[in-house]
Amino acid sequence: MEKYECTACGFIYDPALGDPENGIAPGTSFEALPDDWVCPQCGVGKEFFQKVDD
Amino acid sequence: MQTVIIGNGIAGTLAAKTLRELDPDAGIEIFAAEPHLYYPRPNLIEFIAGNLPFDRLFAFPEAWYGERRIEVHTGVPVERIEPDGRRVIAAGGRRAPYDALLLADGAGAAIPPIKGADKAGVFTLRTLNDALAILDRLRDRPKAAVIGGGLLGLEIARALRCRGAEVEIVEVFGHLLPRQLDPAGGAILRAELEKLGLRVRTGVGVEEILGDAEVRGLRFKDGSRSEADLVILALGVRPNIGLAREAGLKTDRGVVVDEFLQTSRPGIFAAGDGAQRGDTVLGIIPASFDQARVVAANILGQKRIYPGTVPSNTLNVAGIDLTSVGIINPPGAGFEEIRLARPEAGLYKKIVLRDGVLVGAIWMGTKAGISAVARAVARHVSVEGRTKDLLEDTFDFSLL
Repeated sequence: MEKYECTACGFIYDPALGDPENGIAPGTSFEALPDDWVCPQCGVGKEFFQKVDD
Repeated sequence: MQTVIIGNGIAGTLAAKTLRELDPDAGIEIFAAEPHLYYPRPNLIEFIAGNLPFDRLFAFPEAWYGERRIEVHTGVPVERIEPDGRRVIAAGGRRAPYDALLLADGAGAAIPPIKGADKAGVFTLRTLNDALAILDRLRDRPKAAVIGGGLLGLEIARALRCRGAEVEIVEVFGHLLPRQLDPAGGAILRAELEKLGLRVRTGVGVEEILGDAEVRGLRFKDGSRSEADLVILALGVRPNIGLAREAGLKTDRGVVVDEFLQTSRPGIFAAGDGAQRGDTVLGIIPASFDQARVVAANILGQKRIYPGTVPSNTLNVAGIDLTSVGIINPPGAGFEEIRLARPEAGLYKKIVLRDGVLVGAIWMGTKAGISAVARAVARHVSVEGRTKDLLEDTFDFSLL
Protein backbone atom coordinates (compact mmCIF):
# COMPACT_ATOMS: atom_id res chain seq x y z
CA MET A 1 0.00 0.00 0.00
CA GLU A 2 1.36 3.37 -0.98
CA LYS A 3 2.22 6.29 1.28
CA TYR A 4 0.63 9.68 0.60
CA GLU A 5 1.96 13.10 1.54
CA CYS A 6 0.05 16.27 2.42
CA THR A 7 1.07 19.09 0.10
CA ALA A 8 -0.04 21.70 2.61
CA CYS A 9 2.29 20.61 5.39
CA GLY A 10 4.38 17.59 4.40
CA PHE A 11 2.73 15.09 6.73
CA ILE A 12 3.12 11.55 5.44
CA TYR A 13 0.20 9.15 5.73
CA ASP A 14 1.62 5.66 6.13
CA PRO A 15 -1.09 3.01 5.62
CA ALA A 16 0.88 0.56 7.75
CA LEU A 17 0.43 2.90 10.72
CA GLY A 18 -3.05 4.22 9.94
CA ASP A 19 -4.23 7.14 12.11
CA PRO A 20 -5.47 5.42 15.28
CA GLU A 21 -5.96 8.67 17.23
CA ASN A 22 -8.62 9.55 14.67
CA GLY A 23 -10.16 6.09 14.43
CA ILE A 24 -8.22 4.83 11.40
CA ALA A 25 -6.80 1.34 11.97
CA PRO A 26 -3.28 0.38 10.83
CA GLY A 27 -3.47 -1.21 7.41
CA THR A 28 -6.00 1.26 6.01
CA SER A 29 -5.08 2.34 2.49
CA PHE A 30 -5.30 6.02 1.56
CA GLU A 31 -8.15 5.29 -0.85
CA ALA A 32 -10.10 3.64 1.98
CA LEU A 33 -9.88 6.69 4.22
CA PRO A 34 -13.29 8.34 4.63
CA ASP A 35 -13.99 11.41 2.47
CA ASP A 36 -14.09 13.63 5.54
CA TRP A 37 -10.73 12.46 6.94
CA VAL A 38 -8.31 15.36 7.42
CA CYS A 39 -4.55 15.65 7.75
CA PRO A 40 -3.74 15.04 11.43
CA GLN A 41 -0.94 17.61 11.31
CA CYS A 42 -2.57 20.59 9.61
CA GLY A 43 -6.24 19.74 9.14
CA VAL A 44 -6.68 19.99 5.36
CA GLY A 45 -8.74 17.46 3.41
CA LYS A 46 -7.74 14.43 1.33
CA GLU A 47 -7.66 16.52 -1.86
CA PHE A 48 -4.33 18.01 -0.74
CA PHE A 49 -2.62 14.63 -0.65
CA GLN A 50 -0.49 13.10 -3.38
CA LYS A 51 1.22 9.74 -3.68
CA VAL A 52 4.79 9.74 -2.37
CA ASP A 53 7.18 9.41 -5.34
CA ASP A 54 10.39 8.22 -3.75
CA MET B 1 24.82 29.57 6.69
CA GLN B 2 21.98 32.08 6.77
CA THR B 3 18.96 31.73 4.50
CA VAL B 4 16.42 34.50 4.15
CA ILE B 5 13.04 33.55 2.71
CA ILE B 6 10.64 36.13 1.30
CA GLY B 7 7.08 34.86 1.63
CA ASN B 8 5.37 32.44 4.00
CA GLY B 9 3.03 30.51 1.73
CA ILE B 10 3.49 26.82 0.95
CA ALA B 11 6.77 27.29 -0.92
CA GLY B 12 8.44 29.52 1.67
CA THR B 13 7.23 27.63 4.71
CA LEU B 14 7.87 24.12 3.45
CA ALA B 15 11.29 25.18 2.15
CA ALA B 16 12.08 26.39 5.67
CA LYS B 17 10.81 23.11 7.13
CA THR B 18 12.94 21.10 4.69
CA LEU B 19 16.03 23.24 5.33
CA ARG B 20 15.75 22.50 9.03
CA GLU B 21 15.25 18.78 8.37
CA LEU B 22 18.37 18.71 6.20
CA ASP B 23 20.56 20.99 8.32
CA PRO B 24 20.16 21.36 12.10
CA ASP B 25 22.46 24.40 12.14
CA ALA B 26 21.13 26.52 9.25
CA GLY B 27 19.94 30.02 10.10
CA ILE B 28 16.42 30.44 8.69
CA GLU B 29 14.56 33.74 8.61
CA ILE B 30 11.20 34.33 6.87
CA PHE B 31 9.75 37.73 6.00
CA ALA B 32 6.02 37.67 5.32
CA ALA B 33 4.04 40.62 4.02
CA GLU B 34 0.85 39.07 5.41
CA PRO B 35 0.31 39.59 9.14
CA HIS B 36 -0.49 35.89 9.63
CA LEU B 37 1.39 32.65 9.99
CA TYR B 38 1.24 30.24 7.06
CA TYR B 39 -2.16 28.94 6.05
CA PRO B 40 -3.05 26.80 3.00
CA ARG B 41 -4.78 29.28 0.72
CA PRO B 42 -7.71 27.01 -0.27
CA ASN B 43 -8.78 27.08 3.41
CA LEU B 44 -10.03 30.61 2.75
CA ILE B 45 -12.95 29.20 0.75
CA GLU B 46 -14.21 27.05 3.63
CA PHE B 47 -13.54 29.95 6.01
CA ILE B 48 -15.75 32.24 3.93
CA ALA B 49 -18.38 29.50 3.70
CA GLY B 50 -18.44 29.32 7.49
CA ASN B 51 -17.22 25.75 7.67
CA LEU B 52 -13.75 26.36 9.09
CA PRO B 53 -13.13 28.47 12.20
CA PHE B 54 -10.35 31.07 12.17
CA ASP B 55 -8.04 29.21 14.53
CA ARG B 56 -8.08 26.12 12.28
CA LEU B 57 -6.87 27.97 9.20
CA PHE B 58 -3.18 27.72 9.97
CA ALA B 59 -1.04 24.70 9.13
CA PHE B 60 1.38 25.02 12.05
CA PRO B 61 1.00 26.67 15.47
CA GLU B 62 3.45 29.37 16.58
CA ALA B 63 5.34 26.90 18.77
CA TRP B 64 6.12 24.76 15.72
CA TYR B 65 8.33 27.54 14.31
CA GLY B 66 10.12 28.12 17.62
CA GLU B 67 10.85 24.39 18.02
CA ARG B 68 12.56 24.46 14.64
CA ARG B 69 14.35 27.79 15.19
CA ILE B 70 12.62 29.24 12.12
CA GLU B 71 12.36 32.97 12.67
CA VAL B 72 9.19 34.40 11.09
CA HIS B 73 8.46 38.11 10.79
CA THR B 74 4.76 38.39 9.95
CA GLY B 75 3.48 41.66 8.59
CA VAL B 76 7.01 42.71 7.59
CA PRO B 77 7.27 42.98 3.80
CA VAL B 78 10.66 43.15 2.11
CA GLU B 79 11.11 46.45 0.29
CA ARG B 80 14.15 45.63 -1.74
CA ILE B 81 16.89 43.14 -2.36
CA GLU B 82 20.53 44.25 -2.53
CA PRO B 83 22.23 41.35 -4.33
CA ASP B 84 25.73 42.87 -4.23
CA GLY B 85 25.53 43.41 -0.50
CA ARG B 86 23.77 40.04 -0.04
CA ARG B 87 21.02 41.48 2.08
CA VAL B 88 17.38 42.45 1.99
CA ILE B 89 15.88 45.67 3.30
CA ALA B 90 12.55 45.10 5.01
CA ALA B 91 9.86 47.49 6.18
CA GLY B 92 11.04 49.80 8.89
CA GLY B 93 14.56 49.87 7.48
CA ARG B 94 15.42 46.49 8.92
CA ARG B 95 18.41 44.88 7.17
CA ALA B 96 18.73 41.11 6.90
CA PRO B 97 21.95 39.66 5.51
CA TYR B 98 21.84 36.33 3.70
CA ASP B 99 24.12 33.68 2.25
CA ALA B 100 21.18 32.34 0.26
CA LEU B 101 17.90 34.07 -0.58
CA LEU B 102 14.63 32.40 -1.55
CA LEU B 103 11.97 34.42 -3.34
CA ALA B 104 8.66 32.82 -2.46
CA ASP B 105 6.33 35.78 -2.44
CA GLY B 106 3.94 34.19 -4.85
CA ALA B 107 1.35 35.95 -6.92
CA GLY B 108 -1.35 38.54 -6.42
CA ALA B 109 -4.87 38.70 -7.78
CA ALA B 110 -5.11 40.32 -11.21
CA ILE B 111 -7.20 43.49 -11.28
CA PRO B 112 -8.22 44.36 -14.83
CA PRO B 113 -8.84 47.99 -15.76
CA ILE B 114 -12.65 47.92 -15.29
CA LYS B 115 -14.06 51.36 -14.53
CA GLY B 116 -15.20 51.47 -10.91
CA ALA B 117 -13.04 48.59 -9.70
CA ASP B 118 -11.66 50.86 -7.00
CA LYS B 119 -15.02 51.41 -5.25
CA ALA B 120 -15.58 50.25 -1.69
CA GLY B 121 -17.15 46.80 -1.73
CA VAL B 122 -15.07 45.50 -4.64
CA PHE B 123 -12.62 42.79 -3.66
CA THR B 124 -10.26 40.17 -4.91
CA LEU B 125 -9.68 37.03 -2.86
CA ARG B 126 -6.12 36.01 -2.34
CA THR B 127 -5.30 36.58 1.32
CA LEU B 128 -6.85 36.05 4.71
CA ASN B 129 -7.23 39.80 5.07
CA ASP B 130 -9.23 39.79 1.82
CA ALA B 131 -11.48 37.06 3.26
CA LEU B 132 -12.01 39.01 6.50
CA ALA B 133 -12.86 42.16 4.55
CA ILE B 134 -15.32 40.24 2.35
CA LEU B 135 -17.07 38.72 5.37
CA ASP B 136 -17.25 42.11 6.99
CA ARG B 137 -18.86 43.59 3.89
CA LEU B 138 -21.21 40.64 3.53
CA ARG B 139 -22.72 41.12 6.97
CA ASP B 140 -25.53 43.53 6.02
CA ARG B 141 -25.14 43.45 2.28
CA PRO B 142 -26.23 40.11 0.93
CA LYS B 143 -26.29 40.92 -2.80
CA ALA B 144 -23.06 39.68 -4.35
CA ALA B 145 -21.65 39.44 -7.85
CA VAL B 146 -18.63 37.34 -8.75
CA ILE B 147 -16.91 38.42 -11.95
CA GLY B 148 -15.12 35.43 -13.44
CA GLY B 149 -16.59 31.99 -14.02
CA GLY B 150 -13.35 30.03 -13.64
CA LEU B 151 -12.44 27.73 -10.77
CA LEU B 152 -11.89 30.35 -8.12
CA GLY B 153 -14.96 32.37 -9.08
CA LEU B 154 -17.22 29.34 -8.76
CA GLU B 155 -15.74 28.31 -5.41
CA ILE B 156 -16.13 31.84 -4.02
CA ALA B 157 -19.70 32.01 -5.30
CA ARG B 158 -20.59 28.74 -3.57
CA ALA B 159 -18.94 29.87 -0.34
CA LEU B 160 -20.85 33.18 -0.34
CA ARG B 161 -24.07 31.29 -0.96
CA CYS B 162 -23.34 29.10 2.08
CA ARG B 163 -23.38 32.34 4.08
CA GLY B 164 -26.83 33.18 2.75
CA ALA B 165 -25.86 35.72 0.10
CA GLU B 166 -27.67 36.11 -3.21
CA VAL B 167 -24.93 35.51 -5.73
CA GLU B 168 -24.65 36.09 -9.45
CA ILE B 169 -21.68 34.72 -11.38
CA VAL B 170 -20.69 36.71 -14.46
CA GLU B 171 -18.50 35.08 -17.11
CA VAL B 172 -17.58 36.86 -20.35
CA PHE B 173 -17.05 33.60 -22.22
CA GLY B 174 -20.08 31.72 -23.56
CA HIS B 175 -19.95 29.13 -20.77
CA LEU B 176 -18.47 28.48 -17.33
CA LEU B 177 -15.00 27.00 -16.85
CA PRO B 178 -13.94 27.83 -20.40
CA ARG B 179 -10.58 26.10 -19.93
CA GLN B 180 -11.98 22.84 -18.69
CA LEU B 181 -15.40 22.54 -20.32
CA ASP B 182 -17.16 22.75 -23.65
CA PRO B 183 -20.52 24.56 -24.14
CA ALA B 184 -22.62 21.45 -23.42
CA GLY B 185 -20.73 20.62 -20.23
CA GLY B 186 -20.83 24.26 -19.23
CA ALA B 187 -24.62 24.27 -19.57
CA ILE B 188 -24.97 21.23 -17.31
CA LEU B 189 -22.62 22.76 -14.74
CA ARG B 190 -24.65 25.96 -14.85
CA ALA B 191 -27.82 24.00 -14.12
CA GLU B 192 -26.14 22.29 -11.16
CA LEU B 193 -25.06 25.65 -9.75
CA GLU B 194 -28.52 27.07 -10.28
CA LYS B 195 -29.87 24.16 -8.22
CA LEU B 196 -27.66 25.50 -5.41
CA GLY B 197 -29.37 28.86 -5.74
CA LEU B 198 -26.63 30.61 -7.69
CA ARG B 199 -27.46 32.79 -10.67
CA VAL B 200 -25.28 32.68 -13.76
CA ARG B 201 -24.79 35.17 -16.57
CA THR B 202 -22.52 34.13 -19.44
CA GLY B 203 -21.44 35.58 -22.74
CA VAL B 204 -21.35 39.19 -21.60
CA GLY B 205 -18.56 41.36 -20.23
CA VAL B 206 -18.67 43.98 -17.52
CA GLU B 207 -18.44 47.54 -18.84
CA GLU B 208 -18.49 49.38 -15.53
CA ILE B 209 -18.85 48.83 -11.80
CA LEU B 210 -21.52 51.30 -10.71
CA GLY B 211 -22.04 53.31 -7.55
CA ASP B 212 -20.52 56.36 -5.93
CA ALA B 213 -17.92 55.70 -3.28
CA GLU B 214 -19.55 52.32 -2.67
CA VAL B 215 -20.49 49.73 -5.25
CA ARG B 216 -24.17 49.54 -6.18
CA GLY B 217 -24.16 47.30 -9.21
CA LEU B 218 -22.78 46.41 -12.60
CA ARG B 219 -23.35 47.65 -16.12
CA PHE B 220 -22.69 45.11 -18.85
CA LYS B 221 -21.42 45.64 -22.36
CA ASP B 222 -24.87 44.90 -23.77
CA GLY B 223 -26.30 47.80 -21.78
CA SER B 224 -28.09 45.68 -19.17
CA ARG B 225 -27.50 46.20 -15.44
CA SER B 226 -27.65 44.32 -12.20
CA GLU B 227 -27.55 45.27 -8.52
CA ALA B 228 -24.81 44.25 -6.14
CA ASP B 229 -23.28 45.64 -2.97
CA LEU B 230 -20.40 43.22 -2.92
CA VAL B 231 -18.34 42.44 -6.01
CA ILE B 232 -15.55 39.89 -6.22
CA LEU B 233 -13.10 39.98 -9.11
CA ALA B 234 -11.93 36.43 -9.79
CA LEU B 235 -9.95 37.04 -12.95
CA GLY B 236 -6.64 35.29 -12.47
CA VAL B 237 -3.35 35.97 -10.72
CA ARG B 238 -0.12 37.78 -11.55
CA PRO B 239 3.23 36.58 -10.18
CA ASN B 240 4.88 39.11 -7.86
CA ILE B 241 8.05 40.01 -9.76
CA GLY B 242 8.65 43.58 -8.55
CA LEU B 243 11.40 42.77 -6.03
CA ALA B 244 13.19 40.53 -8.53
CA ARG B 245 12.95 43.04 -11.37
CA GLU B 246 14.22 45.92 -9.25
CA ALA B 247 17.15 43.78 -8.11
CA GLY B 248 18.10 43.12 -11.72
CA LEU B 249 17.09 39.46 -11.81
CA LYS B 250 15.74 37.94 -15.00
CA THR B 251 11.95 38.05 -15.06
CA ASP B 252 9.36 37.21 -17.67
CA ARG B 253 5.84 36.35 -16.56
CA GLY B 254 7.44 35.15 -13.33
CA VAL B 255 10.92 35.09 -11.81
CA VAL B 256 12.94 32.98 -14.22
CA VAL B 257 14.76 30.01 -12.70
CA ASP B 258 16.91 27.17 -14.00
CA GLU B 259 16.49 23.46 -13.33
CA PHE B 260 17.89 23.97 -9.81
CA LEU B 261 15.33 26.73 -9.16
CA GLN B 262 18.14 29.28 -9.06
CA THR B 263 17.50 32.73 -10.57
CA SER B 264 19.85 34.58 -12.88
CA ARG B 265 21.84 35.57 -9.79
CA PRO B 266 23.76 32.79 -8.02
CA GLY B 267 22.63 32.37 -4.43
CA ILE B 268 19.15 33.72 -5.13
CA PHE B 269 16.46 31.11 -5.69
CA ALA B 270 12.73 31.23 -6.40
CA ALA B 271 9.90 28.78 -5.80
CA GLY B 272 6.12 28.80 -5.75
CA ASP B 273 3.49 30.83 -7.60
CA GLY B 274 6.03 33.46 -8.64
CA ALA B 275 8.65 31.15 -10.12
CA GLN B 276 8.87 30.50 -13.85
CA ARG B 277 10.59 27.37 -15.11
CA GLY B 278 10.82 27.32 -18.88
CA ASP B 279 7.72 29.03 -20.22
CA THR B 280 5.54 28.07 -17.34
CA VAL B 281 4.34 29.46 -14.09
CA LEU B 282 2.22 26.57 -12.87
CA GLY B 283 0.62 28.33 -9.92
CA ILE B 284 -0.68 25.12 -8.36
CA ILE B 285 -0.12 23.69 -4.91
CA PRO B 286 1.66 20.48 -5.97
CA ALA B 287 4.23 22.57 -7.88
CA SER B 288 4.92 24.80 -4.86
CA PHE B 289 5.20 21.69 -2.70
CA ASP B 290 7.62 19.91 -5.03
CA GLN B 291 9.66 23.07 -5.59
CA ALA B 292 9.92 23.82 -1.87
CA ARG B 293 11.69 20.56 -1.18
CA VAL B 294 14.00 20.74 -4.18
CA VAL B 295 14.97 24.35 -3.56
CA ALA B 296 15.87 23.64 0.07
CA ALA B 297 18.26 20.92 -1.06
CA ASN B 298 19.80 23.29 -3.62
CA ILE B 299 20.21 26.09 -1.10
CA LEU B 300 22.37 23.64 0.82
CA GLY B 301 24.41 22.90 -2.30
CA GLN B 302 22.96 19.48 -3.10
CA LYS B 303 22.24 20.15 -6.79
CA ARG B 304 18.85 18.50 -7.14
CA ILE B 305 17.08 18.96 -10.44
CA TYR B 306 13.44 20.05 -10.37
CA PRO B 307 11.79 17.76 -12.92
CA GLY B 308 8.60 19.79 -13.24
CA THR B 309 5.20 18.98 -11.84
CA VAL B 310 2.45 17.35 -13.85
CA PRO B 311 -0.86 19.10 -13.13
CA SER B 312 -3.74 16.90 -12.16
CA ASN B 313 -6.53 16.59 -14.69
CA THR B 314 -9.11 16.16 -11.95
CA LEU B 315 -10.67 18.75 -9.72
CA ASN B 316 -13.73 19.27 -7.63
CA VAL B 317 -15.60 22.50 -8.10
CA ALA B 318 -18.58 23.42 -5.94
CA GLY B 319 -18.87 19.77 -4.93
CA ILE B 320 -18.83 18.52 -8.53
CA ASP B 321 -16.12 16.12 -9.76
CA LEU B 322 -14.58 17.18 -13.06
CA THR B 323 -11.82 15.62 -15.14
CA SER B 324 -10.73 17.41 -18.29
CA VAL B 325 -7.83 16.19 -20.38
CA GLY B 326 -6.38 16.83 -23.83
CA ILE B 327 -8.27 18.64 -26.60
CA ILE B 328 -11.73 19.39 -25.27
CA ASN B 329 -12.82 22.19 -27.60
CA PRO B 330 -11.61 21.07 -31.04
CA PRO B 331 -10.21 24.02 -32.94
CA GLY B 332 -11.46 23.05 -36.40
CA ALA B 333 -12.51 20.23 -38.68
CA GLY B 334 -11.19 16.69 -38.49
CA PHE B 335 -12.38 15.87 -34.97
CA GLU B 336 -15.22 13.68 -33.81
CA GLU B 337 -17.00 14.32 -30.51
CA ILE B 338 -19.18 11.74 -28.80
CA ARG B 339 -21.20 12.63 -25.74
CA LEU B 340 -23.26 11.11 -22.99
CA ALA B 341 -25.30 13.56 -20.96
CA ARG B 342 -27.69 12.97 -18.05
CA PRO B 343 -28.42 16.55 -16.98
CA GLU B 344 -30.82 15.52 -14.21
CA ALA B 345 -27.92 13.68 -12.57
CA GLY B 346 -25.40 16.41 -13.36
CA LEU B 347 -23.52 13.88 -15.49
CA TYR B 348 -21.63 14.80 -18.65
CA LYS B 349 -19.06 12.75 -20.49
CA LYS B 350 -17.44 13.49 -23.81
CA ILE B 351 -14.62 11.98 -25.82
CA VAL B 352 -12.83 13.76 -28.66
CA LEU B 353 -11.35 11.65 -31.45
CA ARG B 354 -9.11 12.42 -34.38
CA ASP B 355 -8.87 9.62 -36.96
CA GLY B 356 -10.29 7.19 -34.43
CA VAL B 357 -7.69 8.09 -31.82
CA LEU B 358 -8.64 9.45 -28.40
CA VAL B 359 -7.27 12.99 -28.06
CA GLY B 360 -9.45 14.51 -25.36
CA ALA B 361 -12.08 13.77 -22.75
CA ILE B 362 -14.38 15.47 -20.26
CA TRP B 363 -15.84 13.50 -17.36
CA MET B 364 -18.14 15.54 -15.13
CA GLY B 365 -20.26 14.33 -12.24
CA THR B 366 -18.42 11.07 -11.72
CA LYS B 367 -14.97 9.78 -10.81
CA ALA B 368 -15.49 6.31 -12.26
CA GLY B 369 -12.91 5.63 -14.96
CA ILE B 370 -11.13 8.99 -14.74
CA SER B 371 -7.59 7.61 -14.32
CA ALA B 372 -8.09 5.13 -17.12
CA VAL B 373 -9.52 7.66 -19.58
CA ALA B 374 -6.78 10.20 -18.76
CA ARG B 375 -4.14 7.54 -19.40
CA ALA B 376 -5.88 6.53 -22.65
CA VAL B 377 -5.83 10.15 -23.87
CA ALA B 378 -2.17 10.56 -22.88
CA ARG B 379 -1.31 7.44 -24.86
CA HIS B 380 -3.48 8.45 -27.85
CA VAL B 381 -5.22 5.12 -27.81
CA SER B 382 -7.25 4.02 -30.80
CA VAL B 383 -10.89 3.40 -29.94
CA GLU B 384 -12.24 2.02 -33.21
CA GLY B 385 -15.57 0.32 -32.78
CA ARG B 386 -15.85 1.00 -29.05
CA THR B 387 -16.91 4.61 -29.06
CA LYS B 388 -20.39 4.19 -27.62
CA ASP B 389 -19.44 1.76 -24.84
CA LEU B 390 -16.53 3.91 -23.74
CA LEU B 391 -18.87 6.44 -22.21
CA GLU B 392 -20.69 3.89 -20.07
CA ASP B 393 -19.83 3.74 -16.35
CA THR B 394 -18.81 0.12 -16.53
CA PHE B 395 -16.50 0.32 -19.55
CA ASP B 396 -13.35 -1.70 -19.10
CA PHE B 397 -10.46 0.42 -20.40
CA SER B 398 -8.10 -2.50 -20.49
CA LEU B 399 -9.97 -3.57 -23.62
CA LEU B 400 -8.42 -0.71 -25.60
